[in-house]
Amino acid sequence: MPPDNGGYMVAAYIVTAVILVSYAVGLWRRVSRALRQRGAP
Amino acid sequence: MTTADSARALVRRGTAVTVVALLALAGVYVLALLYTPVEARQGLAQKIFYLHVPAAWSALLAFSLVGICGGLYLWLNDRRLDRFAASSAEVGVAFGVVMLTTGPIWAKPIWGTWWTWDARLTLTLFLFFLFVGYLALRAALHDPSERARFSAVVGVLGLLLVPFIHLSVYLFRTLHPQPVVLKPSAPSLPPEMLRTLMVSALVFVLLYAGLVTIRYGLAVMEEEREERFDAA
Repeated sequence: MPPDNGGYMVAAYIVTAVILVSYAVGLWRRVSRALRQRGAP
Repeated sequence: MTTADSARALVRRGTAVTVVALLALAGVYVLALLYTPVEARQGLAQKIFYLHVPAAWSALLAFSLVGICGGLYLWLNDRRLDRFAASSAEVGVAFGVVMLTTGPIWAKPIWGTWWTWDARLTLTLFLFFLFVGYLALRAALHDPSERARFSAVVGVLGLLLVPFIHLSVYLFRTLHPQPVVLKPSAPSLPPEMLRTLMVSALVFVLLYAGLVTIRYGLAVMEEEREERFDAA
């Protein structure tokens, strides 16, 4: 019978998604700020 | 096509690749949860493997490319290499955060501890700090050529650490398991696990490509702004 430790798996999957999506969104925000600063549409 | 147009085109292309890669990552979650078997001794916690290992591979790929581009920059003095190295370092640090958080979450139920100061873990942490330092150094230096030269040297030093990290499980006594795929003999994994791992690795590399392309486009925009500011 495998050990009951699914909570750790769920935590790791959530943490991974949060880190990667947050970084991607942060990058897009920096790009849109850079575009605004140079007066692009 | 102006520099600004090409930067915007890069960001658009990188965004498309990143969106596809993030959707594919959701597919990896489904594969890992529904397709792969539950490992008998480790239970569901073993499924962290499908994220932890590809994140570690992608981070090491990113850091290796920083070192290679750094070395090439010192030789060829091409600013595109410096821009790519800076972009790769930042994305590598993001993947490094995934690696260094999923690792302890996996270690706790299996080893009984979040962290242990063994060779593989300690060297990986040092490599991560080295590239955080690389980004801090870049932020602190204003002169573009000085920034590129100094950070290229740090990138090359980081590259020298990568083979030690891969070989550390052979060179030192360590709790960290030995490689199951990147080793001289055939991979020692059941086919469902190996397929899912390979799909996940491809998705992480695709995500790396998308994020680096956006970051490269941003670097072009930032350089253009710096040049306008210096000219004013």
